[in-house]
Amino acid sequence: MNRRNFIGFGVLAMATLPATLSAFSSIDFRATKPDAWKAKTVADAIKGLYGDIKPEASDKVKVKAPKVAANGGAVPVSVKTDIPAKTVAVFQDMNPESAVAVFNIPDGAIVDYGFKIKLKATDENGGNGTVTAIVEGKDGKFYKGTVSLNVAKGGCEG
Amino acid sequence: MKIKAKLKGDEVRVKVLVKHPMLTYDQAKKKGTDANFITHISSRVGDRVVFDASTSQFLSKNPLFKYRFKANGVKKGDEITVSWTDLSGKTVTEKKAIK
Repeated sequence: MNRRNFIGFGVLAMATLPATLSAFSSIDFRATKPDAWKAKTVADAIKGLYGDIKPEASDKVKVKAPKVAANGGAVPVSVKTDIPAKTVAVFQDMNPESAVAVFNIPDGAIVDYGFKIKLKATDENGGNGTVTAIVEGKDGKFYKGTVSLNVAKGGCEG
Repeated sequence: MKIKAKLKGDEVRVKVLVKHPMLTYDQAKKKGTDANFITHISSRVGDRVVFDASTSQFLSKNPLFKYRFKANGVKKGDEITVSWTDLSGKTVTEKKAIK
């Protein structure tokens, strides 16, 4: 086709761009980063997901959990941050594997997630446990927030 | 699924409760069955994805998810669609009008 038609065609194509070609797409991190989910330690899980990163501890990553969780089967956890984020990953060091969930952050989403998790009793681990959240910033940097807790009655054995 | 979505000011606040046994590998072994738990859950309004999470065996039984997003044009009466998939490959999708 001649050049004039070609340019016109390009403009028309942009106007009818289907929504599925927009920048954000759903990701199944279990499929794309399988090693992260098998890792036993928080460090290995982070590596499996993000590679060799050095997250900086930041009080802008707010992770909350009750200081003493009475029921290990349903421990409420919340993760919140204002840092513009691409993904947010949650780990803990009390269970047989470390990865809990990875949130893929769409445009217009607010990072303020609440969910409930199962944790093994901390006396099986000799004391406190820690829940860690890593925020993958849109600026290319990684930020870390943590919360420590005790779990009175373990919830993984069912 | 129980889906509650409310428009408050310029935000939509969502609570999703899924009925699912969320059996860990250890729990399944004890019962002599296969592990089964939700592995991915996402949510959209029209073509816009508003929530997208990959999940592990460590979410609680009958998991609850709370999240919010900027309305950016989403109105009361618009439908939010929630879809989850579990380890067995089962997918469930449900919709609810935003209040």
